[in-house]
Amino acid sequence: MSASATPQVGEHQIVLTTSDNATLPVDREVAERSILIKNLLEDLGVDNTEAIPIPNVNEAVMKKVLEWCEHHRKDPPASQDDDSDSRKKSTDIDEWDQKFMQVDQEMLFEIILAANYLDIKALLDVGCKTVANMIKGKSPDEIRKTFNIQNDFTPEEEDQIRRENEWAEDR
Amino acid sequence: MKRAREDGDHNEPPAKVCRLSKVDRLSKLPNELLIRILTFVPLPSLLLCQRLSKKFQRLAVDSELWKAAYYKNFVLPRASRIPGIRDTTATSDQLHYSSKLSKWLDDGHLVKDGRNTNWKQQYRLRHNWAQGQCAVSEIVVSERPPEPPLLVMMSHGTIFTADSISGLRAWSTTHERDLIASVAITTSTGISQLPTSMAIDTSDSGTGHERVAVGFDNGVFIVYELRKDQRAFTALFEHAPSTNGMLSALAYSSPYLLTMTEDHLLSIYVFLDIEEPSVPLDAPRLLYSLRSHTVWPPVSLSIRTAATSVTAAIAYALPTYLSGWTVGIQEMRLSLDGKLLESRLATAADQNYHTLSGQRSMSSPSTRSSSPFPSRSREPTMAHMPSNSNPTSMSYTHPYLLVAHPDNTLSLYLVKSNASSLSIGAGTRLWGHTSSVSGAHVGMRGKAVSVSRLGDELRVWDLEGGMASSANRKRSRNGELSVRVQPSKGLESSSDSADEYAKQGVGLRFALEQRFDDSAISRGWVGFDEQNVIVLREKGEGSQALVVYDFT
Repeated sequence: MSASATPQVGEHQIVLTTSDNATLPVDREVAERSILIKNLLEDLGVDNTEAIPIPNVNEAVMKKVLEWCEHHRKDPPASQDDDSDSRKKSTDIDEWDQKFMQVDQEMLFEIILAANYLDIKALLDVGCKTVANMIKGKSPDEIRKTFNIQNDFTPEEEDQIRRENEWAEDR
Repeated sequence: MKRAREDGDHNEPPAKVCRLSKVDRLSKLPNELLIRILTFVPLPSLLLCQRLSKKFQRLAVDSELWKAAYYKNFVLPRASRIPGIRDTTATSDQLHYSSKLSKWLDDGHLVKDGRNTNWKQQYRLRHNWAQGQCAVSEIVVSERPPEPPLLVMMSHGTIFTADSISGLRAWSTTHERDLIASVAITTSTGISQLPTSMAIDTSDSGTGHERVAVGFDNGVFIVYELRKDQRAFTALFEHAPSTNGMLSALAYSSPYLLTMTEDHLLSIYVFLDIEEPSVPLDAPRLLYSLRSHTVWPPVSLSIRTAATSVTAAIAYALPTYLSGWTVGIQEMRLSLDGKLLESRLATAADQNYHTLSGQRSMSSPSTRSSSPFPSRSREPTMAHMPSNSNPTSMSYTHPYLLVAHPDNTLSLYLVKSNASSLSIGAGTRLWGHTSSVSGAHVGMRGKAVSVSRLGDELRVWDLEGGMASSANRKRSRNGELSVRVQPSKGLESSSDSADEYAKQGVGLRFALEQRFDDSAISRGWVGFDEQNVIVLREKGEGSQALVVYDFT
């Protein structure tokens, strides 16, 4: 595959160029799950055959993102109102998405960053819910261990916060 | 974003790197993404996240997170209870949280433009109300009991007291609980007189000054304005003594003032120079006056102003031949220029008692033994009709009418009042107290507070929507309508006042210690605002104290 070659690209396909200069042909419908790409294509016009540069996403991550877009290509388009929260509880991730998100932490965060950059709200939420589920029900120590978070509190400071939040504890 | 990219570029296969090097990839995410993640974290975990690191401490108190939680926990559940938006299937879409578009019901003032609301604090406040958690402190208001009894009211974080010894005083309910201002209540001619009633202006003056009217035993009433910045009361108007006698009750919603004398003469006045307030105010015009022959204490006066009319109402107890006591309301509707449009009466229906099954089991028969009609309470069908025993206190904040009884129960009535009719719905008996109830107060949104005669049991009720909705009937069956107030265990957070607390004894324990001491009796006066409940207590030596339950 090369950036200038277009013959192998199908009629309803476009080409994306990743940060590490890989070129990925993809169905236009699939790529348009990304609001960023969709808006870009609208600006370029229907006849565009040039490769679209995605400078913030590398090939491995882009392939993973496109795999998700492919599976969800027939989903109804995301609501443009970012504020309206029809987002459900964090446990509500469909089975395919749960499997899809069984990746190492680096890939998980790369997907979240890519989904945010490419403006794929549904994928971003699946990623965020996956991380939220890794936080839920754990003690602070367990959460720190899970994500290698450095505790920069003194024991006194941490205890102070614990006491400030005692009001919310069940009794 | 760039930083993450560089890591990825120079490292070996991602899977391995992640497990071997201890990289904190989560904390490196941009803040807006971290907050997005935290929106999916349930509240108990969100609070734990504050302890992870300083970065997470900042993020986990983000106002948007708590605003959404507040909406979900305290606004949405109410939607199903309020008649009119009860049809949740039709409105569920609109009721999804959105920081711009949501229906905030009565909490709309919190989301007004430009208002910097601390949502975690608001959440905590509502949570504490819902759980009955609060800190307790006392203000000693007098060393010996004044005659007639001390009058107390509370509004917008200020407590007003009036008595013959110390005059009119105002206290702040914020942490210092300090005395803001006091003024002797003698007439301009220097004759001493006894305060017998008091009312705080319920209208929004726009000046930030609170106005309070005090009525006296000789028919005099004086309107004061509290100027907090000057820490002083100013007398705005003084009405001359009247042959009609003692003023036993007042209601004040500027420019209207409603008075009631001992022998049940109701008068409504209007202060005409309200547009350009002068000091002192010009004499008010008497708009209407009527004498009632059926009113029995306790009574509750109120004034409601609408766009085209003003409604003065008196809620009162009414003895009946067969069933003991019921309640009645008399309303006077006047046009804004003072013409009487209508005067009408309604009493609570004697039939069609609203019965609820199941709730009876919540209280054992012994808890009802103090009823003056023990034989009645054993009758199964009687359990949920309003109590017929002599009411001890009455509170009316339209449309809620709440009556306290000595037989451990409260009765709630919903009042319907519109241009064409006035009626009082069937009453519902509220269980929960385990001893005689001496005082109850209901406010906006159906939030109510009740206190037992010994002052040892304080309950907070959420009665919004009355018992018409199935959601509330279910909550009633499950005993979820009210919660008993408990003092906070986290008092050490306010370390400098901890000694003081220790000396005074704290809340429930303090109350329980005094439980069998009949000399500590709450006078039945109870009141609340958004943050505090106050109860007037009389102690053994005859001194009186305001007990402040702080829910912040």
